[in-house]
Amino acid sequence: MRTKLDFLVVGVGLLVLVLLIGGALPALAHHAFVAQYDASKSTTLQGVVTKVEWTNPHARFYVDVKDKSGNVTNWNLELASPNALRRLGWTRDILKVGDKVSVFVAPAKDGAKMANARTVTLADGRKMVAGIAAEQGGTQ
Amino acid sequence: MRKDIAYSMVTGLFLAALLAVSATSAFAQGQPEPPGVNPAGGGVPMRSLERLKAKAAGPTPRAADGKPDLSGLWGPEPKFMGDISNALKPGERLPLQPWAVKVSRERLSKDDPEANCLPAGIPRQTPFPFKIIQTPKLIVILIEGNMHTYRQIFVDGSSHPKDLDPTWFGDSRGTWQGDTLVVDTVGFNDKFWFDGIGHPHTEKLHIIERYRRPEAGHLDYEVTIDDAGAYTRPFTMYGQSPLLQNAEIMEYFCNENNQDVAHVLGKGRPAKE
Repeated sequence: MRTKLDFLVVGVGLLVLVLLIGGALPALAHHAFVAQYDASKSTTLQGVVTKVEWTNPHARFYVDVKDKSGNVTNWNLELASPNALRRLGWTRDILKVGDKVSVFVAPAKDGAKMANARTVTLADGRKMVAGIAAEQGGTQ
Repeated sequence: MRKDIAYSMVTGLFLAALLAVSATSAFAQGQPEPPGVNPAGGGVPMRSLERLKAKAAGPTPRAADGKPDLSGLWGPEPKFMGDISNALKPGERLPLQPWAVKVSRERLSKDDPEANCLPAGIPRQTPFPFKIIQTPKLIVILIEGNMHTYRQIFVDGSSHPKDLDPTWFGDSRGTWQGDTLVVDTVGFNDKFWFDGIGHPHTEKLHIIERYRRPEAGHLDYEVTIDDAGAYTRPFTMYGQSPLLQNAEIMEYFCNENNQDVAHVLGKGRPAKE
């Protein structure tokens, strides 16, 4: 009994650690994440994809997000580079203009409507985490 | 006994909360990038190479001339990315001259040549693979990123040309010492940074790299930096690259759509010195 509960205690501690570290920020290929994005202000954006750029150094997609009063803001969301995404199984047509998506992002520090996309929930319900499908071992 | 259990649960939760707070505040203060999706660092691009690592290792492959064949697609070494002092022997520190300490502290991430899609130079690496093509007299290294480029190492017994113009990768001449390829490079410019922190160097830079392939699956290397303009003595760093299989170099032209630098603030990581 005690052993089981001790396991539980350790388990809770480990879970918290895994959530914090495993779900932490991706370092970017060619510039420092922490100098550009603020993970402490991470939030979820929901909206409609307006444009997809399958480019280097980062693939990007743009999402129209409507606030409570109906105002629409276009967000510029950054993914990894196409070579890395491709090696993880992404294809350039995973995101399409018109798709409804939900994206967990770390926003730009300078207040621009720009963010690093950490988790993307696609229109078909698939969840892509840091460039990899959650069911393939993505953590968040 | 129930009291014991309750006590240990409270302790466990308290410790977890403490860890949570310390980890979160570390992120908020712009401390070194946390481990992220790959404990070794390098984030998504490094993770994308994990499953490509060769599973089985065999004996060192040999070229027709009997030399070890270093040819192959190799994964990058994270120790040569954010802070090269990670590649020193444990406990060692970079022997920076005072001005070099100052520069390392002052350099801002937005000015990092790599963030601006310029070449990484030597010994800096990026989280992308490189491909070695070995012939008896010339070894070529194809570099996928950050700058899609190449290095040529002449192994034909020739010496460095005189009066070299300073360049990002300098002039490399190789010799075989037993099973070790020794690459001597001079003729560097002072524009590239050794790492994300911005450890500097001068045009006096002289680099000696020693490459070995002790078995098929790994490339081991030592990099000795000799730059009397920025460091108080020569120092040596150590790295290892895994062989990647069922993969190829992919195109990566960083300046295609580089929107980042305009939004990069401050330093990527604090300098240790």
